[in-house]
Amino acid sequence: MSDLAIDLSHVAKTYKGKVRALRGIEMHVAPGEVFGLLGPNGAGKSTLVKILMTVIRPSACKGTMLGHAVGHKPTLGRVGYLPEHHRFPPYLKGAQVLDFFGAMGKVPRRERKQRTGQLLDVVGMSDWAGKKVGGYSKGMRQRLGIAQALMNDPKLVVLDEPTDGVDPVGRRDIRDIVARLRDEQRTVFINSHLLSELEMVCDRVAILVQGQVRSQGTIDELTAGQHRYEIDIVASGDDVAGALGTLRKALPGGVTEKNEGSSAGLAKRVGFSGTLGDGTWVEIERTMLRVGTADPLAIEPVIDALRAQGVTIRSVVQKRPSLEDLFMQAVTDPTTGKALAPGAVRNEKKGAH
Amino acid sequence: MLTQTLALFLDAYRELNAKKLFWITLLLSGLVVLALGALGIDDKSVSIFGWRQNWLPLNTSMMSREIFYTLIFSNLGIGLWLSWIATILALVSTAGIVPDLISGGSIETVLSKPISRLRLLLTKLGTGLLFVALQVGVFSLGCFLVFGIRAGVWNFGLFLAIPIVVLFYSYLFSVCALLGMVTRSTVAALLLTVLLWGALFLVNMGDGIMLMLTENQSLVVEKREARIDLMQANTVQLLQTQEHGSVEAAIEAGYAPSDDEVVAYNPFLEGQFERLESDRETLGQLQFWTRLTVGVKTALPKTGETIDLLERHLVDPEALQMGEPDPEPAFDLEDPNQDIVVDDDELSERINERLRGRSIWWIVGTSLIFEFVMVGITCLLFVRRDF
Repeated sequence: MSDLAIDLSHVAKTYKGKVRALRGIEMHVAPGEVFGLLGPNGAGKSTLVKILMTVIRPSACKGTMLGHAVGHKPTLGRVGYLPEHHRFPPYLKGAQVLDFFGAMGKVPRRERKQRTGQLLDVVGMSDWAGKKVGGYSKGMRQRLGIAQALMNDPKLVVLDEPTDGVDPVGRRDIRDIVARLRDEQRTVFINSHLLSELEMVCDRVAILVQGQVRSQGTIDELTAGQHRYEIDIVASGDDVAGALGTLRKALPGGVTEKNEGSSAGLAKRVGFSGTLGDGTWVEIERTMLRVGTADPLAIEPVIDALRAQGVTIRSVVQKRPSLEDLFMQAVTDPTTGKALAPGAVRNEKKGAH
Repeated sequence: MLTQTLALFLDAYRELNAKKLFWITLLLSGLVVLALGALGIDDKSVSIFGWRQNWLPLNTSMMSREIFYTLIFSNLGIGLWLSWIATILALVSTAGIVPDLISGGSIETVLSKPISRLRLLLTKLGTGLLFVALQVGVFSLGCFLVFGIRAGVWNFGLFLAIPIVVLFYSYLFSVCALLGMVTRSTVAALLLTVLLWGALFLVNMGDGIMLMLTENQSLVVEKREARIDLMQANTVQLLQTQEHGSVEAAIEAGYAPSDDEVVAYNPFLEGQFERLESDRETLGQLQFWTRLTVGVKTALPKTGETIDLLERHLVDPEALQMGEPDPEPAFDLEDPNQDIVVDDDELSERINERLRGRSIWWIVGTSLIFEFVMVGITCLLFVRRDF
């Protein structure tokens, strides 16, 4: 039995139309962590979540959730789930929705009554407890949905697009709820398009592309070796060509220019691309010099050289790739430099060329 | 387990409670109860709101008050109101149960709960019968109270209507659920179910017509056989009298004319035998088609007969004193070719006899087999489907 909250070694799903939505997912989510699932449209994120929640039957599935095989119904009593585009019966009042879904999660009546009030308070919907859901806004329904997912006091909370349709205040509230769940040692599995949101709350992420996990880990793990310094100078008289010369002159000796393998777009955009003597990559674009290092000592000589030339330095910034950068890297075809087409992989027809 | 079941039923009740149609149907049921309660019967005639309706040939000498109220309950209240009008309203109200359950945004939340798909669907189908159970329950209670207060008739048998009408409705609802699962559309499920119901009605009507024709023909054959027997007996007597002066003398002498002699003597007998042969042939053909219709019906839900079970169990035909049947017109031996006329009451009695002869197993059992097949397919689709 696995100690992981979610431990998938091989999950596959092929739809009737021969659409291969998932092609052998391997994913590991530790207890108590906030895990983000990213991917472009049609990557298979929702299919994976629905397989975990028994809404979709997998074509193949080796893995466990909270120590039991995926699909084990009683385990769902310890899992909370907020589906994307969920729809609650419009004739029910907010409190009745929580009571109903709590009962469906086998929560005893007394506990339901107690938790209903608490959770409505947590999601800021206490004033709407007695109003019918039919009159709720999208954001209010989302808040209620989160409360619903927490009715059974779950060990694992699966949130599918939790901030969809929610205003900035609501998003912050939801982030706070997620942080609170983490503090309570619950595992949170979030599927979202909003990369900045995920970056703020997730301990680890997995990027799904065309039904496969492209990369998985903490953001630091995924961005290891991709930290850089950016030095922006003021070009005299908007002389960009002059700025390129100035910046190249400031680089230490032993620089190797690298144009092989660069796409036409990259060559056009980047004025210079190469490596330093120690193998650190460098790049010059207009008035910006990028040096692929996280070590501040490594760029000190460059700054000194620029200052010696009397160049005005506008900014020196240490950067690491954002989740969006990672996402874009994952969905970009390395051979063409273009984003991969959205959607799943289709089985080719026999005899097709 | 019970928590989930109770929650699903409570949810179904809340949904019904939110529907205007539920309350409209209940209100209409109340009006129908009052209308039925307005009917009265005494030793002279039937009355409506106290106004005598002398044109209606009914009074307590023909049937007791209890039978009268039971009959109007089963024929008007159940047979017309609940099994037609209220059923259509119930279908309109409940046709959306399966399409709503499996609609996007709704099904994911429910399926993610620790309840098996099979139990979820079967419980939801059970809640679909709640509308009818409540309606017929309230209606039966209303009639029970009104008949009791109005006429002193406290007939607990009226509550038998609850299981019978719910059973009848479950046949239609099983089809509606399957269609809802396949089409995912409330409107399509509703319309196709009503179409099937119409088809069942036509099959039932066809069965009724075939039964009537067959029984009519059967009576014609019986009467012709009786006529031939009478003609043969008369002819034998005539021959005996002719040969020995009297019947007794002929018997004493041991004289009994042969069949050939009898037929040769009475020229009308040969025609009657030919017509009997033709009548029997027609009866055989009708019996074949009746058996075929019954065979077709066996595989289908028997909605009409299920509803008729109520009257079958509440009303003893012996208790109905609808007057003596019209005396059969005497057979005129001078005109043996006259047509055989079947008395309507006699035919009606024979048809009722045949209908009552159909076993509860055939009516309910085979209908339930149909229902189980429908529900089984619905469950199979639900359990195997990706949402």
